[in-house]
Amino acid sequence: MAMTARQRARVSLYVQAGIFVVAVAALILATDWKTVTDNVFNFAKIGPMFPDIILIGLKNTLIYTFLGFIVGLSGGLLLALMKLSSFPLYRWIATGYIEFFRGIPALLVFIAFGYGVPLAFGVQWNVTVVVMVSLGMVAAAYIAETLRAGLQAVPKGQVEAARSLGMPQWRAMVTIVIPQAFRIVLPPLTNEVILLTKDSSLIYVLGLTASQYELTKFGRDGISSLGAGLTPLLVAGAFYLVITIPLSLLARKFESRSARTKR
Amino acid sequence: MNDVVIPSRNHTGPVHAAGVSIKDLRKSYGSNEVLKGISLEVAPGEVVCLIGPSGSGKSTLLRCVNLLEQPNEGTIHVGGFEATDLDVDIDKMRRKVGMVFQQFNLFPHLNALRNCTIAQTKVLKRSQSEADKVAQANLDRVGLGHLADRFPDQLSGGQQQRVAIARALSMDPELMLFDEPTSALDPETVGDVLSVMRNLAKEGMTMLVVTHEMGFAREVADRVVFMDGGVVVEEGVAEKVISTPTQGRTKEFLKRVLDPTHIEISE
Repeated sequence: MAMTARQRARVSLYVQAGIFVVAVAALILATDWKTVTDNVFNFAKIGPMFPDIILIGLKNTLIYTFLGFIVGLSGGLLLALMKLSSFPLYRWIATGYIEFFRGIPALLVFIAFGYGVPLAFGVQWNVTVVVMVSLGMVAAAYIAETLRAGLQAVPKGQVEAARSLGMPQWRAMVTIVIPQAFRIVLPPLTNEVILLTKDSSLIYVLGLTASQYELTKFGRDGISSLGAGLTPLLVAGAFYLVITIPLSLLARKFESRSARTKR
Repeated sequence: MNDVVIPSRNHTGPVHAAGVSIKDLRKSYGSNEVLKGISLEVAPGEVVCLIGPSGSGKSTLLRCVNLLEQPNEGTIHVGGFEATDLDVDIDKMRRKVGMVFQQFNLFPHLNALRNCTIAQTKVLKRSQSEADKVAQANLDRVGLGHLADRFPDQLSGGQQQRVAIARALSMDPELMLFDEPTSALDPETVGDVLSVMRNLAKEGMTMLVVTHEMGFAREVADRVVFMDGGVVVEEGVAEKVISTPTQGRTKEFLKRVLDPTHIEISE
């Protein structure tokens, strides 16, 4: 019996839902719930993580991310301007930097500044400084490309109008172009902050004192000390979502706002 | 166009009107020569309209006057400045030269008032309160004083262009350049912009206007310059060039642009 297109679509939907239900059921049946409850959802034993995971871990993650972002934003802006410069040397330096730091794992940068720099120069940086510099330098490479796109998206007529009012090139940049570029890149920039939040966990490669722990370090520490299996990591992960989901919503809000005002 | 009146104004103008003197100006993009030796004099307080087909180089000529385009050869004097001198203080010169663009180019992140104050405070170093006063006066002058707090995207094209004129006027320019100021406008808003420009001309501002509005050119311009292929083909008193052109190319162009039932072109 031939089916109409609408019937076919409905049957197809039932089949897809059926496959999903069967897959979930199979997963539930195949799982050893005793082990999982003891090792992943063992919330009874995580009490000792509180309140420090919030007062120290969450706070430090926010601080490290913020510091990294500030360095990344300033460095990224500088690199973006260099990349758009008419002076070839600046463009080469910026391109080299961006390709290098986007191309290597952020973990290596943390190790380089955490262990390499002290070895090479005999200076021991404070952990906060290492995070700020490592995170910031990696972030700068990504943010630079985002900002460059934003700067280029500002119409040429804006610079011409500013220059024709007697503004020097730098003034036109600072007063007219950069503020508009930032509005354009606000959504992707928010996404950069989300990436940074997660990358701040790479600090675990450094030797930390308890007051320097951030979320992931708290999670890892909990694994060995609480006897609740991986549950502490689950808790740490939940706190990352507490930071990143609002940021995601913020980015979406910026996006819809800029879509509305775009002409 | 029954209401066309040719104003007889003397060209003493306000004290601060600058003249323009262009000699043998050449400009090429690669091997494409856009301006092939242009000479043009604009007296202080004079209104000159540049007309001609698209690609004739009239916009490029206008943009050379405030160095948005760098000419290859020739000289341009604006007020007391030699624009073509490589050591000229471009920014200082541009303060004297207001520019109005086809696409308005208002700053979208600033409201109408701030559009008119930003260069006053950052370039002329006026205090915010003084700049506000000047800006408000110029917005009133273009009939938009009541919309000072609107942002560009809340204004119609014609209103945006009038704000752009107010923005340029807020710098107290001695010369105004208009690059097809009404070409991007809805027909019903063209009149408002032209009437602002007409008033400006009456006040004695030196104006160099690239336009396709022949009615405006006839009525307001002292002289009309017809350009084609990078050269000045014909120039003279506006009424004369438009009504009785002598050159074949001018006749051809005007015939295409003007509605022949309204203005007769003598052969």
